[in-house]
Amino acid sequence: MQNSILILFLVLAGMSALVFTFVYLSSKKAGKDEQGIPNPLKTRFWFLLILFVILGIFASVTIPRSPYFLFADETPVRVIHVSAMQFAFLMSDKAIDPKNPVGEASIELPANKLVEFRVTSLDVNHGFAIYDQSNRLIAQTQAMPGYVNRLRWKFKEPGNYTILCLEYCGMAHQVMRASLTIK
Amino acid sequence: METIKLRKITSLWIITVLFLFIVNIVLGIIMRLNQGEILHEQPATFYAHMTTHGLTQIGIWFVAGMTGINYLMERYLKTSYLANVVAMVLTVTGILMLWTSTYIGNFHAGWTFLYPLPLKIMWAKWATPLFLGSILVMGVGWLTWSVSMMTQILKKYPLTKALAWQHFRKNPTIQTPPFILISMITLIGIITCLLGAVLLLAMYAAEYFSNGAFVNDALLMKNLTYFFGHTIANEMLYLGLAVIYELFPEVGGRPKWKATWYVALAWNCTLVFILTAFFHHLYMDFVQPVGFQIVGQIASYMASLPAAGVTVFSVLVAVYRTSIKWSLTNLLFFIGVAGWVIGGLGAVIDVTITNNFVLHNTLWVPAHFHTYNALGNVLFSLAFFHWFSIQFSEKTDFEKLTKLKLTLLLIGGIGFLLAFYIGGAESMPRRYSNYPAEFPMAAPLAIGAAVFATIYLAAILIFFFQISKRCLNILFSSSSH
Repeated sequence: MQNSILILFLVLAGMSALVFTFVYLSSKKAGKDEQGIPNPLKTRFWFLLILFVILGIFASVTIPRSPYFLFADETPVRVIHVSAMQFAFLMSDKAIDPKNPVGEASIELPANKLVEFRVTSLDVNHGFAIYDQSNRLIAQTQAMPGYVNRLRWKFKEPGNYTILCLEYCGMAHQVMRASLTIK
Repeated sequence: METIKLRKITSLWIITVLFLFIVNIVLGIIMRLNQGEILHEQPATFYAHMTTHGLTQIGIWFVAGMTGINYLMERYLKTSYLANVVAMVLTVTGILMLWTSTYIGNFHAGWTFLYPLPLKIMWAKWATPLFLGSILVMGVGWLTWSVSMMTQILKKYPLTKALAWQHFRKNPTIQTPPFILISMITLIGIITCLLGAVLLLAMYAAEYFSNGAFVNDALLMKNLTYFFGHTIANEMLYLGLAVIYELFPEVGGRPKWKATWYVALAWNCTLVFILTAFFHHLYMDFVQPVGFQIVGQIASYMASLPAAGVTVFSVLVAVYRTSIKWSLTNLLFFIGVAGWVIGGLGAVIDVTITNNFVLHNTLWVPAHFHTYNALGNVLFSLAFFHWFSIQFSEKTDFEKLTKLKLTLLLIGGIGFLLAFYIGGAESMPRRYSNYPAEFPMAAPLAIGAAVFATIYLAAILIFFFQISKRCLNILFSSSSH
């Protein structure tokens, strides 16, 4: 998905740069009496309408696919409780006691089954970001003290997945990590 | 017309901003070299750089926009010199407090200082109140200036006229200059988000001094942080746009832009969208009410409509097949608008919730905001700085090294930014002092970014020497010209 996003951006950025270059060059060639677009208000109206329609289509297609609505009608086969803390993730099938936080040494989850992560933090804000085996970010939520974010996900491929912290949380933020095994 | 005192303080602002910008670019290069494993700093030092770099950058480009507005506003009404001085003194004091907290106190909670990180002391204990105090001091300075400026506008233009509402009717008898309209809209946004910052700081203070008796709500604090942080970072761009509306046609020898019903409508809508778009920073907090998340995406999308349909379109129309007079000033404005558009495209992609799910807090985020700052807002301010500095100079070689400066800016800027975009698409996290083995491309990309940032820095150094020299002449000149 990220590669498609990058290509889309580069195409749009390139088109914008071409438009600006074309407009700039048109002014270089313009005679003294030339007054530009004859009816800019009409052109502006169409430009805005097209932009509005494009953004409207984007919004109506993407919003229903937001992570808040992912697998909302299904029941997860496993619930994993995640407590983030400086600078580690504790994960367990059971609820984690904040006064005596303990996680399991390893977590194994089934492939192609719905899993729900209930993510919170015991100290500051953290990120709970899942990376696949090619180190591509596939899903994430935040870990916030006092709140539980529920992230539902189905892992398609068996293998080892890495969890990285994606919210700056202090001097060892860059080494805060965990892993999951999908079977 | 402006006074000599205003010219001098404007010159001082410009020299200060450019000097701090150079220092700040160097900090950025150091960070990229550290990520590239050329330098080997302690992570805490890296994060102290990151905190300093972020907040200083917001501060200097905000006051750069402020400087332009203040100087040009004298064409329409009298501004308060005292408020300008207060803003200057408090901004410099705030920056010094910030740098003391980060480099002596080792405070490194990031410029977003997300609650409750500043209260989990991993640095000198005094550094947290000093850091929060630095924001308070700068905020008071900017609030003083903003309230003073708004008061002066309202003395001449009643609120409805300042917001150009009479343009919604046919044949309005009074014309509101676009510069006044945009300044007013921006000032309302600035004052609103600064009041949000006051509330945020008050809540920090309440917890800090309560000895554990009072604990804040993390979600509310995060909403307040981004209401302030996102809004102020965007309003500084709008300050630059007001300057474009005033100077771009003038410098190009084109007719002055006038307010029309659609210009008035666009800017009034912008105020609403800009104050509600900040919700997109909390997309990954699934406990935030879903309605707010959807408002975040729609407001962020809608904010691009008046920007593209009115401002960008007007700039293109002013240039397309017209005999516009090109100079360094309006070339910088023109390229800056292109940079703003391209950064905006990166932003629109990121504010789409489904994309944000895989881009949030990756390098895509600094990619897009550096685009509309380094190749957008910075160019707007450089255009004003250049234009201002040549107003009172007798020499005529103002366009010296124009091609070189623009080439270096573009090559350096594009190369530096591409490294961020590629890193974002490769899922590399932002705000990492060093990258783990999972990202073998992170270090080479960071080195490449540092090289291109150095090219960009070379352009800024030329601007700094040329503009500062002329500003120093204005500063130490005793004559009225």
